[in-house]
Amino acid sequence: VIKPRSTYVLDEQELKRLLLRTAVRGQESAAAFEALYRKCAPLLLGIARRIIGRRELAEEVVHDSFVRIWRSAEQFDASSGQAFAWMVAIVRNRAIDVLQSHDVARVQPLDLDDEAEADGLFDWALGPEDDVDAKRTARALHRCLTELQAAERQSLVLAYAHAMSHTELASHLHKPLGTVKGLIRRGLAHLRDCLERCAEAVR
Amino acid sequence: MKLANDPRLDALCGEYLVGTLRGRARRRFERALREEPLVALRLRHWEQTALPLYSQAIAVQPARGAWKRLERELQLDRYRPSWFQRVGIWRAWAAAATLAFVLAIVLPAVLPLLPGPQPVEIASLQSEDRRILLHADLSADRRVLQLRAARPVIAGPDQSYELWLLPADSGAPISLAVLGALDAQVAVPARYAEGLRAGAKLAVSVEPAGGSPTGAPTGPVILVGDVRG
Repeated sequence: VIKPRSTYVLDEQELKRLLLRTAVRGQESAAAFEALYRKCAPLLLGIARRIIGRRELAEEVVHDSFVRIWRSAEQFDASSGQAFAWMVAIVRNRAIDVLQSHDVARVQPLDLDDEAEADGLFDWALGPEDDVDAKRTARALHRCLTELQAAERQSLVLAYAHAMSHTELASHLHKPLGTVKGLIRRGLAHLRDCLERCAEAVR
Repeated sequence: MKLANDPRLDALCGEYLVGTLRGRARRRFERALREEPLVALRLRHWEQTALPLYSQAIAVQPARGAWKRLERELQLDRYRPSWFQRVGIWRAWAAAATLAFVLAIVLPAVLPLLPGPQPVEIASLQSEDRRILLHADLSADRRVLQLRAARPVIAGPDQSYELWLLPADSGAPISLAVLGALDAQVAVPARYAEGLRAGAKLAVSVEPAGGSPTGAPTGPVILVGDVRG
Protein backbone atom coordinates (compact mmCIF):
# COMPACT_ATOMS: atom_id res chain seq x y z
CA VAL A 1 0.00 0.00 0.00
CA ILE A 2 1.41 3.33 -1.02
CA LYS A 3 1.23 5.76 1.81
CA PRO A 4 -0.58 8.93 0.72
CA ARG A 5 2.09 11.56 0.69
CA SER A 6 1.77 15.29 0.50
CA THR A 7 3.32 16.84 -2.57
CA TYR A 8 3.89 19.94 -0.49
CA VAL A 9 7.34 19.09 0.76
CA LEU A 10 8.49 22.45 2.02
CA ASP A 11 8.93 22.39 5.75
CA GLU A 12 7.77 25.76 7.05
CA GLN A 13 9.91 25.60 10.21
CA GLU A 14 12.98 24.79 8.16
CA LEU A 15 12.33 27.69 5.78
CA LYS A 16 11.93 30.11 8.70
CA ARG A 17 15.20 28.94 10.17
CA LEU A 18 16.97 29.40 6.84
CA LEU A 19 15.49 32.88 6.40
CA LEU A 20 16.66 33.92 9.86
CA ARG A 21 20.17 32.61 9.22
CA THR A 22 20.16 34.47 5.92
CA ALA A 23 19.11 37.67 7.65
CA VAL A 24 21.90 37.68 10.26
CA ARG A 25 24.58 38.24 7.58
CA GLY A 26 27.14 35.97 9.19
CA GLN A 27 29.52 33.30 7.97
CA GLU A 28 26.63 30.87 7.50
CA SER A 29 24.30 33.23 5.68
CA ALA A 30 25.38 32.28 2.17
CA ALA A 31 24.92 28.56 2.90
CA ALA A 32 21.48 29.18 4.43
CA PHE A 33 20.43 31.32 1.49
CA GLU A 34 21.66 28.69 -0.95
CA ALA A 35 19.66 25.99 0.85
CA LEU A 36 16.61 28.26 0.73
CA TYR A 37 17.13 28.72 -2.99
CA ARG A 38 17.54 25.01 -3.69
CA LYS A 39 14.37 24.20 -1.78
CA CYS A 40 12.13 26.99 -3.02
CA ALA A 41 13.34 28.17 -6.42
CA PRO A 42 11.74 25.33 -8.45
CA LEU A 43 8.24 25.88 -7.05
CA LEU A 44 8.60 29.67 -7.18
CA LEU A 45 9.69 29.35 -10.81
CA GLY A 46 6.63 27.21 -11.49
CA ILE A 47 4.42 29.88 -9.92
CA ALA A 48 6.12 32.67 -11.86
CA ARG A 49 5.68 30.75 -15.09
CA ARG A 50 1.98 30.28 -14.43
CA ILE A 51 1.71 34.01 -14.06
CA ILE A 52 3.95 35.16 -16.89
CA GLY A 53 3.52 32.34 -19.33
CA ARG A 54 7.10 32.64 -20.61
CA ARG A 55 9.96 30.64 -19.24
CA GLU A 56 12.77 33.15 -19.70
CA LEU A 57 10.84 36.03 -18.17
CA ALA A 58 9.83 33.77 -15.30
CA GLU A 59 13.52 33.00 -14.69
CA GLU A 60 14.22 36.72 -14.52
CA VAL A 61 11.37 37.21 -12.08
CA VAL A 62 12.71 34.48 -9.81
CA HIS A 63 16.23 35.91 -10.01
CA ASP A 64 15.05 39.40 -9.10
CA SER A 65 12.88 37.96 -6.36
CA PHE A 66 15.79 36.16 -4.72
CA VAL A 67 17.84 39.34 -4.85
CA ARG A 68 14.95 40.96 -3.02
CA ILE A 69 14.63 38.05 -0.58
CA TRP A 70 18.34 38.33 0.25
CA ARG A 71 18.13 42.07 0.77
CA SER A 72 14.95 42.11 2.82
CA ALA A 73 15.26 38.83 4.71
CA GLU A 74 15.54 40.78 7.93
CA GLN A 75 12.10 42.28 7.35
CA PHE A 76 10.50 38.86 7.45
CA ASP A 77 8.62 38.50 10.71
CA ALA A 78 9.22 34.92 11.75
CA SER A 79 6.93 35.09 14.78
CA SER A 80 3.76 35.56 12.80
CA GLY A 81 4.53 35.26 9.10
CA GLN A 82 4.60 32.26 6.84
CA ALA A 83 7.99 31.97 5.19
CA PHE A 84 6.90 30.46 1.91
CA ALA A 85 3.86 32.71 1.58
CA TRP A 86 6.20 35.67 2.12
CA MET A 87 8.41 34.53 -0.75
CA VAL A 88 5.44 33.78 -2.97
CA ALA A 89 4.17 37.32 -2.38
CA ILE A 90 7.54 38.72 -3.48
CA VAL A 91 7.53 36.58 -6.63
CA ARG A 92 3.92 37.43 -7.46
CA ASN A 93 4.46 41.15 -6.98
CA ARG A 94 7.57 41.06 -9.14
CA ALA A 95 5.78 39.04 -11.80
CA ILE A 96 2.87 41.48 -11.86
CA ASP A 97 5.31 44.40 -12.22
CA VAL A 98 7.07 42.66 -15.12
CA LEU A 99 3.75 41.87 -16.78
CA GLN A 100 2.80 45.52 -16.65
CA SER A 101 6.15 47.03 -17.60
CA HIS A 102 6.96 44.62 -20.43
CA ASP A 103 3.42 44.87 -21.64
CA VAL A 104 3.70 41.15 -22.05
CA ALA A 105 0.80 40.32 -24.25
CA ARG A 106 0.69 36.82 -22.83
CA VAL A 107 2.31 35.17 -25.76
CA GLN A 108 0.53 31.92 -25.74
CA PRO A 109 -3.03 32.74 -24.84
CA LEU A 110 -3.40 30.74 -21.66
CA ASP A 111 -5.11 27.55 -22.53
CA LEU A 112 -6.96 26.94 -19.37
CA ASP A 113 -9.28 24.33 -18.22
CA ASP A 114 -10.52 26.60 -15.50
CA GLU A 115 -12.37 23.93 -13.58
CA ALA A 116 -9.41 21.59 -13.38
CA GLU A 117 -7.04 24.48 -12.75
CA ALA A 118 -7.49 24.75 -9.01
CA ASP A 119 -6.96 21.07 -8.45
CA GLY A 120 -3.77 20.84 -10.48
CA LEU A 121 -2.14 23.96 -9.11
CA PHE A 122 -2.74 23.59 -5.46
CA ASP A 123 -2.14 20.99 -2.88
CA TRP A 124 -5.30 20.29 -0.95
CA ALA A 125 -4.42 16.86 0.32
CA LEU A 126 -1.77 17.39 2.93
CA GLY A 127 -0.08 14.23 4.08
CA PRO A 128 -0.61 12.69 7.50
CA GLU A 129 2.69 14.06 8.76
CA ASP A 130 1.85 17.67 8.00
CA ASP A 131 0.92 19.99 10.80
CA VAL A 132 -2.67 19.74 12.00
CA ASP A 133 -3.51 23.42 11.69
CA ALA A 134 -2.27 23.57 8.12
CA LYS A 135 -4.34 20.54 7.24
CA ARG A 136 -7.45 21.96 8.79
CA THR A 137 -6.95 25.29 7.01
CA ALA A 138 -6.35 23.65 3.66
CA ARG A 139 -9.47 21.51 4.03
CA ALA A 140 -11.61 24.48 5.04
CA LEU A 141 -10.32 26.56 2.16
CA HIS A 142 -10.95 23.82 -0.33
CA ARG A 143 -14.51 23.31 0.91
CA CYS A 144 -15.20 27.03 0.92
CA LEU A 145 -13.91 27.39 -2.62
CA THR A 146 -16.14 24.59 -3.84
CA GLU A 147 -19.11 26.26 -2.17
CA LEU A 148 -18.57 29.40 -4.22
CA GLN A 149 -20.52 30.03 -7.36
CA ALA A 150 -18.63 28.57 -10.30
CA ALA A 151 -18.05 31.97 -11.89
CA GLU A 152 -16.74 33.46 -8.64
CA ARG A 153 -14.39 30.56 -8.06
CA GLN A 154 -13.16 30.69 -11.64
CA SER A 155 -12.39 34.41 -11.42
CA LEU A 156 -10.56 34.06 -8.11
CA VAL A 157 -8.42 31.15 -9.27
CA LEU A 158 -7.52 32.85 -12.53
CA ALA A 159 -6.66 36.09 -10.78
CA TYR A 160 -4.55 34.35 -8.16
CA ALA A 161 -2.83 31.68 -10.21
CA HIS A 162 -2.19 33.76 -13.30
CA ALA A 163 -2.20 37.23 -11.81
CA MET A 164 -4.83 38.39 -14.27
CA SER A 165 -5.96 41.94 -13.84
CA HIS A 166 -9.64 42.84 -13.88
CA THR A 167 -9.28 43.84 -17.53
CA GLU A 168 -7.56 40.61 -18.54
CA LEU A 169 -10.15 38.59 -16.67
CA ALA A 170 -12.92 40.45 -18.47
CA SER A 171 -11.49 39.63 -21.87
CA HIS A 172 -10.62 36.06 -20.94
CA LEU A 173 -14.09 35.37 -19.53
CA HIS A 174 -15.91 37.45 -22.15
CA LYS A 175 -17.68 39.43 -19.47
CA PRO A 176 -18.01 43.17 -18.87
CA LEU A 177 -15.38 44.70 -16.59
CA GLY A 178 -17.95 45.65 -13.96
CA THR A 179 -19.28 42.12 -13.82
CA VAL A 180 -15.80 40.71 -13.29
CA LYS A 181 -15.05 43.19 -10.51
CA GLY A 182 -18.29 42.16 -8.86
CA LEU A 183 -17.45 38.46 -9.17
CA ILE A 184 -14.10 38.97 -7.48
CA ARG A 185 -15.53 41.14 -4.73
CA ARG A 186 -18.44 38.84 -3.97
CA GLY A 187 -16.28 35.74 -4.31
CA LEU A 188 -13.83 37.09 -1.73
CA ALA A 189 -16.64 38.10 0.62
CA HIS A 190 -18.25 34.66 0.41
CA LEU A 191 -14.89 33.01 0.91
CA ARG A 192 -14.24 35.14 3.98
CA ASP A 193 -17.64 34.39 5.51
CA CYS A 194 -17.24 30.69 4.89
CA LEU A 195 -13.70 30.62 6.37
CA GLU A 196 -14.83 32.51 9.44
CA ARG A 197 -17.68 30.07 9.96
CA CYS A 198 -15.16 27.22 9.73
CA ALA A 199 -12.86 28.90 12.25
CA GLU A 200 -15.73 29.41 14.69
CA ALA A 201 -16.80 25.81 14.29
CA VAL A 202 -13.34 24.77 15.43
CA ARG A 203 -13.46 26.97 18.51
CA MET B 1 -8.49 57.98 7.54
CA LYS B 2 -6.78 54.94 8.91
CA LEU B 3 -7.26 51.90 6.77
CA ALA B 4 -7.42 49.70 9.86
CA ASN B 5 -10.90 51.00 10.62
CA ASP B 6 -12.10 50.93 7.05
CA PRO B 7 -15.03 48.57 6.47
CA ARG B 8 -13.40 47.62 3.18
CA LEU B 9 -10.27 46.29 4.92
CA ASP B 10 -11.09 42.62 4.38
CA ALA B 11 -12.02 43.25 0.76
CA LEU B 12 -8.74 45.08 0.18
CA CYS B 13 -6.72 42.33 1.84
CA GLY B 14 -8.49 39.80 -0.36
CA GLU B 15 -7.93 41.74 -3.58
CA TYR B 16 -4.30 42.32 -2.60
CA LEU B 17 -3.73 38.61 -2.00
CA VAL B 18 -5.56 37.55 -5.12
CA GLY B 19 -3.57 40.11 -7.08
CA THR B 20 -6.32 42.26 -8.55
CA LEU B 21 -5.35 45.27 -6.47
CA ARG B 22 -3.13 47.16 -8.91
CA GLY B 23 -1.37 50.45 -9.50
CA ARG B 24 -1.99 53.32 -7.11
CA ALA B 25 -4.47 51.37 -5.02
CA ARG B 26 -1.87 48.65 -4.43
CA ARG B 27 0.84 51.13 -3.48
CA ARG B 28 -1.52 52.86 -1.06
CA PHE B 29 -2.35 49.52 0.51
CA GLU B 30 1.34 48.61 0.82
CA ARG B 31 2.03 51.91 2.54
CA ALA B 32 -0.74 51.15 5.01
CA LEU B 33 0.85 47.72 5.58
CA ARG B 34 4.06 49.40 6.66
CA GLU B 35 2.45 52.12 8.74
CA GLU B 36 -0.49 50.37 10.36
CA PRO B 37 0.26 47.20 12.28
CA LEU B 38 -3.43 46.27 12.41
CA VAL B 39 -3.61 46.20 8.62
CA ALA B 40 -0.53 43.98 8.44
CA LEU B 41 -2.02 41.70 11.07
CA ARG B 42 -5.29 41.38 9.19
CA LEU B 43 -3.48 40.60 5.95
CA ARG B 44 -1.42 37.95 7.69
CA HIS B 45 -4.60 36.35 8.97
CA TRP B 46 -5.95 36.08 5.45
CA GLU B 47 -2.61 34.90 4.15
CA GLN B 48 -2.75 31.98 6.53
CA THR B 49 -6.36 31.02 6.04
CA ALA B 50 -7.24 31.98 2.50
CA LEU B 51 -4.16 31.17 0.44
CA PRO B 52 -3.95 27.67 -0.96
CA LEU B 53 -0.62 25.86 -0.90
CA TYR B 54 0.89 25.41 -4.31
CA SER B 55 1.49 21.88 -5.46
CA GLN B 56 5.06 20.73 -6.07
CA ALA B 57 3.73 19.27 -9.29
CA ILE B 58 4.07 22.64 -11.00
CA ALA B 59 7.70 23.10 -9.92
CA VAL B 60 10.25 23.76 -12.68
CA GLN B 61 14.01 23.41 -12.26
CA PRO B 62 15.74 26.78 -12.77
CA ALA B 63 18.16 27.06 -15.69
CA ARG B 64 21.71 25.86 -15.12
CA GLY B 65 23.91 28.64 -13.86
CA ALA B 66 20.99 30.55 -12.34
CA TRP B 67 22.30 30.05 -8.82
CA LYS B 68 25.87 30.95 -9.80
CA ARG B 69 24.63 34.18 -11.32
CA LEU B 70 22.77 35.06 -8.15
CA GLU B 71 25.79 34.15 -6.04
CA ARG B 72 28.02 36.43 -8.10
CA GLU B 73 25.60 39.32 -8.21
CA LEU B 74 25.10 39.32 -4.44
CA GLN B 75 28.80 38.57 -3.74
CA LEU B 76 27.79 35.80 -1.39
CA ASP B 77 31.41 34.73 -0.86
CA ARG B 78 31.55 37.42 1.79
CA TYR B 79 29.13 35.37 3.86
CA ARG B 80 30.94 32.07 3.76
CA PRO B 81 33.50 30.95 6.31
CA SER B 82 37.07 31.46 5.11
CA TRP B 83 39.12 28.32 4.61
CA PHE B 84 40.87 28.40 7.94
CA GLN B 85 37.56 28.82 9.75
CA ARG B 86 36.19 25.87 7.85
CA VAL B 87 39.01 23.55 8.80
CA GLY B 88 39.30 24.84 12.34
CA ILE B 89 42.09 26.85 13.85
CA TRP B 90 44.19 23.88 15.05
CA ARG B 91 44.04 22.08 11.81
CA ALA B 92 44.96 25.35 10.08
CA TRP B 93 47.90 25.64 12.46
CA ALA B 94 48.95 22.08 11.65
CA ALA B 95 48.68 22.81 7.95
CA ALA B 96 50.82 25.93 8.32
CA ALA B 97 53.42 24.02 10.35
CA THR B 98 53.57 21.29 7.74
CA LEU B 99 54.03 23.87 5.05
CA ALA B 100 56.86 25.50 6.98
CA PHE B 101 58.50 22.10 7.39
CA VAL B 102 58.24 21.43 3.69
CA LEU B 103 59.74 24.81 2.87
CA ALA B 104 62.57 24.44 5.37
CA ILE B 105 63.60 20.81 4.95
CA VAL B 106 62.22 19.21 1.86
CA LEU B 107 62.39 22.00 -0.64
CA PRO B 108 66.17 22.65 -0.52
CA ALA B 109 66.72 18.95 -1.12
CA VAL B 110 64.29 18.76 -3.97
CA LEU B 111 64.93 22.07 -5.62
CA PRO B 112 68.12 21.09 -7.54
CA LEU B 113 66.22 18.12 -8.91
CA LEU B 114 63.47 20.24 -10.29
CA PRO B 115 63.87 20.84 -13.99
CA GLY B 116 65.16 24.34 -14.60
CA PRO B 117 65.94 25.77 -18.02
CA GLN B 118 67.53 22.91 -19.93
CA PRO B 119 71.32 23.00 -20.58
CA VAL B 120 72.40 22.95 -24.23
CA GLU B 121 75.07 20.66 -25.62
CA ILE B 122 77.79 22.89 -27.03
CA ALA B 123 80.48 20.34 -27.91
CA SER B 124 81.22 16.66 -28.16
CA LEU B 125 84.85 15.68 -27.60
CA GLN B 126 86.36 12.55 -29.07
CA SER B 127 89.58 10.64 -28.79
CA GLU B 128 91.53 10.05 -31.95
CA ASP B 129 90.58 6.37 -31.97
CA ARG B 130 86.94 7.41 -31.25
CA ARG B 131 86.75 5.05 -28.31
CA ILE B 132 86.04 7.83 -25.86
CA LEU B 133 83.19 10.26 -26.33
CA LEU B 134 82.52 13.18 -24.03
CA HIS B 135 79.53 15.52 -24.26
CA ALA B 136 79.78 19.05 -22.91
CA ASP B 137 76.49 20.75 -21.95
CA LEU B 138 76.38 24.45 -21.04
CA SER B 139 73.74 25.65 -18.61
CA ALA B 140 71.26 28.29 -19.72
CA ASP B 141 73.10 30.98 -17.74
CA ARG B 142 76.41 29.87 -19.36
CA ARG B 143 78.04 29.44 -15.94
CA VAL B 144 78.05 25.64 -15.57
CA LEU B 145 79.57 23.12 -17.95
CA GLN B 146 78.34 19.58 -17.49
CA LEU B 147 80.63 16.86 -18.88
CA ARG B 148 79.02 13.49 -19.65
CA ALA B 149 81.25 10.64 -20.75
CA ALA B 150 79.64 7.94 -22.86
CA ARG B 151 81.28 5.48 -20.45
CA PRO B 152 83.05 6.18 -17.16
CA VAL B 153 86.69 7.22 -17.52
CA ILE B 154 88.71 7.74 -14.35
CA ALA B 155 92.25 9.10 -14.15
CA GLY B 156 95.03 6.86 -12.84
CA PRO B 157 96.41 7.40 -9.27
CA ASP B 158 99.28 9.65 -10.36
CA GLN B 159 97.60 11.61 -13.09
CA SER B 160 94.74 14.09 -13.62
CA TYR B 161 92.75 15.18 -16.61
CA GLU B 162 92.69 18.87 -17.43
CA LEU B 163 89.97 20.64 -19.44
CA TRP B 164 91.12 23.41 -21.73
CA LEU B 165 89.44 26.10 -23.66
CA LEU B 166 91.20 26.75 -26.96
CA PRO B 167 90.03 30.28 -27.86
CA ALA B 168 88.63 31.09 -31.29
CA ASP B 169 91.41 33.68 -31.80
CA SER B 170 94.04 30.91 -31.47
CA GLY B 171 95.33 32.43 -28.25
CA ALA B 172 96.93 30.28 -25.53
CA PRO B 173 94.83 27.46 -24.08
CA ILE B 174 92.94 28.45 -20.94
CA SER B 175 92.62 25.91 -18.13
CA LEU B 176 89.02 25.47 -17.08
CA ALA B 177 89.31 22.58 -14.63
CA VAL B 178 91.43 19.75 -13.32
CA LEU B 179 89.46 16.52 -13.21
CA GLY B 180 89.76 13.14 -11.55
CA ALA B 181 87.11 11.67 -13.82
CA LEU B 182 85.65 12.80 -17.10
CA ASP B 183 82.12 12.95 -15.67
CA ALA B 184 82.16 16.31 -13.97
CA GLN B 185 80.43 19.58 -13.37
CA VAL B 186 82.64 22.59 -14.05
CA ALA B 187 81.96 26.14 -13.00
CA VAL B 188 82.87 28.46 -15.84
CA PRO B 189 84.63 31.63 -14.65
CA ALA B 190 82.66 34.65 -15.79
CA ARG B 191 85.56 36.01 -17.83
CA TYR B 192 85.70 32.86 -19.93
CA ALA B 193 81.99 32.37 -20.42
CA GLU B 194 82.09 34.57 -23.53
CA GLY B 195 84.90 32.43 -24.99
CA LEU B 196 82.66 29.36 -25.18
CA ARG B 197 81.38 30.10 -28.67
CA ALA B 198 81.67 28.87 -32.22
CA GLY B 199 85.27 28.74 -33.44
CA ALA B 200 86.68 27.81 -30.03
CA LYS B 201 87.56 24.25 -29.06
CA LEU B 202 87.43 22.23 -25.88
CA ALA B 203 90.20 19.76 -25.16
CA VAL B 204 91.22 17.36 -22.41
CA SER B 205 94.88 16.55 -21.70
CA VAL B 206 96.51 14.06 -19.36
CA GLU B 207 98.58 15.87 -16.72
CA PRO B 208 100.45 14.97 -13.55
CA ALA B 209 98.21 14.59 -10.52
CA GLY B 210 96.93 18.06 -9.55
CA GLY B 211 97.13 19.45 -13.08
CA SER B 212 99.62 21.05 -15.39
CA PRO B 213 102.57 22.53 -13.47
CA THR B 214 103.13 25.18 -16.16
CA GLY B 215 99.65 26.52 -16.82
CA ALA B 216 99.75 25.10 -20.34
CA PRO B 217 99.05 21.53 -21.49
CA THR B 218 102.08 19.35 -20.87
CA GLY B 219 100.77 15.80 -21.47
CA PRO B 220 99.03 14.25 -24.42
CA VAL B 221 95.69 15.73 -25.56
CA ILE B 222 93.33 12.79 -25.48
CA LEU B 223 90.05 14.50 -26.41
CA VAL B 224 89.18 17.48 -28.57
CA GLY B 225 85.99 18.92 -30.02
CA ASP B 226 84.63 22.08 -31.63
CA VAL B 227 82.40 24.42 -29.68
CA ARG B 228 79.10 25.02 -31.47
CA GLY B 229 77.15 28.31 -31.36
